[in-house]
Amino acid sequence: MLVEVQSEASSDSGAVSSTVIARVTARKAVRSGFGWGLVFGFYVATQALAYATSYPTVASRELLVQEFGSNPGVSALVGPATQLDTVPGYTAWKCLAVLAITAAVWGILSSTRLTRGEEDAGRWELLLAGQTTRRGAATQALVGMGAGLVVLFITSGVIIVATGRRSDIGMGTSGALFLTLAIVAGAAMFSALGALAGQLSSTRRQASGYASALLGASYAIRMVADSDTSLGWLRWLSPLGWIEELRPLTRPNPLALVPIAVLTAVAVLFTVYLAGRRDLGASTLPDRSSSKAHLRLLSGQAGLALRLMRPTLVSWAAAIIAYGLLLGSIAKSGGKIMTSSPSMQLVFERLGVTGAEAYLGFALLVMAMALCFVAAGQISATRAEESSGRLEYLLVRPLSRTSWLGCRVALATGILVAGGLLAGLSTWAGAAANHAGVRFSPMIGASINVVPPALLLLGVGVAVYGALPRVAVSVTYAVLVWSLLVEITSGVVNVNHWMIDTSMFHQMAAAPSVPVDWTTNAVMVAIGALSALLGLGAFARRDLKGE
Amino acid sequence: MASHAIETFALTKRFGDTEALKDLDLEVSEGEVVGILGPNGAGKTTLIRLLLGLLMPSAGRAEIFGLDCHSQTVEAHRRLAYVAGESNLWPTLTGAETLYLLGQVQGRVDTQYREVLVERFELDVTKKVRALSKGNRQKLSLVAALMTRADLLVLDEPTSGLDPLMEQAFRTCIAEARVQGQSVLLSSHILSEVEVLCDRIGILRAGVLVEMGTLAEMRHLSALTVEATFDGAVPDLSRVPGVTMVEVLGSSVKCQVSGTVEPLLRVLADSGVRELLSREPSLEELFLAHYGSATTGQSDASNAC
Ligand SMILES: Nc1ncnc2c1ncn2[C@@H]1O[C@H](COP(=O)(O)OP(=O)(O)OP(=O)(O)O)[C@@H](O)[C@H]1O
Ligand SMILES: [Mg+2]
Repeated sequence: MLVEVQSEASSDSGAVSSTVIARVTARKAVRSGFGWGLVFGFYVATQALAYATSYPTVASRELLVQEFGSNPGVSALVGPATQLDTVPGYTAWKCLAVLAITAAVWGILSSTRLTRGEEDAGRWELLLAGQTTRRGAATQALVGMGAGLVVLFITSGVIIVATGRRSDIGMGTSGALFLTLAIVAGAAMFSALGALAGQLSSTRRQASGYASALLGASYAIRMVADSDTSLGWLRWLSPLGWIEELRPLTRPNPLALVPIAVLTAVAVLFTVYLAGRRDLGASTLPDRSSSKAHLRLLSGQAGLALRLMRPTLVSWAAAIIAYGLLLGSIAKSGGKIMTSSPSMQLVFERLGVTGAEAYLGFALLVMAMALCFVAAGQISATRAEESSGRLEYLLVRPLSRTSWLGCRVALATGILVAGGLLAGLSTWAGAAANHAGVRFSPMIGASINVVPPALLLLGVGVAVYGALPRVAVSVTYAVLVWSLLVEITSGVVNVNHWMIDTSMFHQMAAAPSVPVDWTTNAVMVAIGALSALLGLGAFARRDLKGE
Repeated sequence: MASHAIETFALTKRFGDTEALKDLDLEVSEGEVVGILGPNGAGKTTLIRLLLGLLMPSAGRAEIFGLDCHSQTVEAHRRLAYVAGESNLWPTLTGAETLYLLGQVQGRVDTQYREVLVERFELDVTKKVRALSKGNRQKLSLVAALMTRADLLVLDEPTSGLDPLMEQAFRTCIAEARVQGQSVLLSSHILSEVEVLCDRIGILRAGVLVEMGTLAEMRHLSALTVEATFDGAVPDLSRVPGVTMVEVLGSSVKCQVSGTVEPLLRVLADSGVRELLSREPSLEELFLAHYGSATTGQSDASNAC
């Protein structure tokens, strides 16, 4: 990659051109924007077409409205469903939240990679060579990132407009474009915030952490706003809420573009301002360069891993606790709406669960997803130790590869189980504080229940890491994102059944609203364990590989 | 049995199409200091990473103190210490924390010697690794390895980035190691370092050990340098049997002769030679002779410089 950049830099008549950073960044951003534009476009197209074919009659559509139109669990997850009886209304509901969040994650990862990541790797020093100021470099990187966003908009827009103009879909050109704009708004805001975080922190990892925390917070705020109609005003405090307020294809509200544009512009300006005020490779927030030795954890590799992960783990724990308390506290109102239809009430009574428990059955799915991100993060941290060359310092000492990787897997398993318990307990505590009628013992089962998908993903990640280390991180995240997309897509439209089965979340029972399915859980854990063992075996027999 | 610190048996490593190491047989006796020289891409790092079990051999095997490098890695690693040319340590740990951690993982540290080393290399161990310069990180790696007083030191360009003063400190450490009876395998591009420190020297080229021996042996085996100054025109020496690397400077010429000097002497006598000087080649010349032919033989080496 370094060589690629160098040749790019020197291809212009020998001298380093003054816009080289913009062009290098743009090329990478455009490539990625094009790929994801295709994904977004086809996602919207399949949703719209699937709905049009699966629910051709008014009667079938009304059934759908009854089932999901007022379901607070679903509404909290992906926003309220307003016009489920029309193709555009359904498509907007089905795609907007999911794709805006995906776009936001893409924005964070791309902008931190292309700004801070390139800088950390020392590539800018090479390219800069006194040609431009730090501020100029940051501006150029932002311009390059902007090119990526434009391509993302155009690529997905073309497909969405082409689909939307069909007579059986009926979105119209402007409606389709507004939907595209709403999706890309997520990418724009969060890539700007990612770039800003990159100026504040001292590494790319830290920058993605800050920006992801913002995304998590804005999701949580929007979720509360959508759980209870009296809290609807909270939406205006959340960037994801603004996107929802755009209401493309139902009741478009271009006014919500104002905060989106303001936030993006402010973040961009601040990024450029801060870039001129710090050294290459340094952070703006204080970052001490020496400290007293803290040796307590450093007596072995397990302690070292814990020490290195501590900041990440603390933020995940804080996020899970906050989220759990939040879910618990809205469980009561959520449960009330859920059991308002007599038929549903009968179902839950037969199962012996309260309304709030029924609501939490939906809501805890989010915790399972969060734990899967923790699991994927563990794979990525494991690989980073190897690709950075730091692992060699341990493995040239009397420590076998199997013990090293085995210990990391054991640690990760412990972390995931602890995360599950933390999720369940904090949710229970939030519910108990609100007298929501959630019992303790089913919640213990339900909190263990969110762990197996994450353990399965961990095992699969370890297997890939053992055999093909260079693609392990991308494959792990791909499996995760695939499962997320399938899970969120399924349920309403009848997608091919074996495809739904490939989502690990789909295998999970929605405890505590239904009993925990221990057999399936055991199978998931067993597959995970087996994969991890295969990974351990492969890791012991291969070359260590750098980047 | 274990009279060898390192012994390899037809050790071979392929990366796809490139054969980085070919049927290498190398022996390092206990207490011996061996240097490995070779152009960029010759396979020095590959050899060392195979010995450490970081790479898996494509064929052949290697032993450290009679312990197989791949099936008895942990036992072998109890007896060795390693320094790489690039120090990628944990950026958030301080120097002191790094040394403590690596000592704990090694399970054997001479704490008194560690303090001596920290002082000798003028390390500020309260600084976090990310705040250290490249050379200071390298010094930290060196201290972490040397403080174990391992029976075998495996060093891959250990002094890259060190200033001349610290380079001197490093030489002191290796001299101490020799006195203690430790064995050393050292790869380097710094000829004076190898010349001063090593009992035996190996020259690796394109994955093959083309020369191995003491400096004296290598001098003996290889070419003599001959410098001649002429009254008249300088004759063409390049076609004389045994003569290589002819350099003409005005009325004088410098060349290398291997094998018998008779043909050369005959040509010189016929051409009116005024001055004649012959000497054994320096390590640098030996080295350049080998590297020079490497440039034509192997593509990697030519773009690496
Ligand atoms: N991971 C790898 N994948 C593919 N080829 C490799 C890899 N590592 C080394 N090589 C190739 O193997 C050969 C030997 O490389 P090696 O790093 O051992 O050289 P070296 O002697 O240490 O060079 P230098 O003096 O530059 O450090 C080179 O041709 C190199 O390109
Ligand atoms: Mg090397």
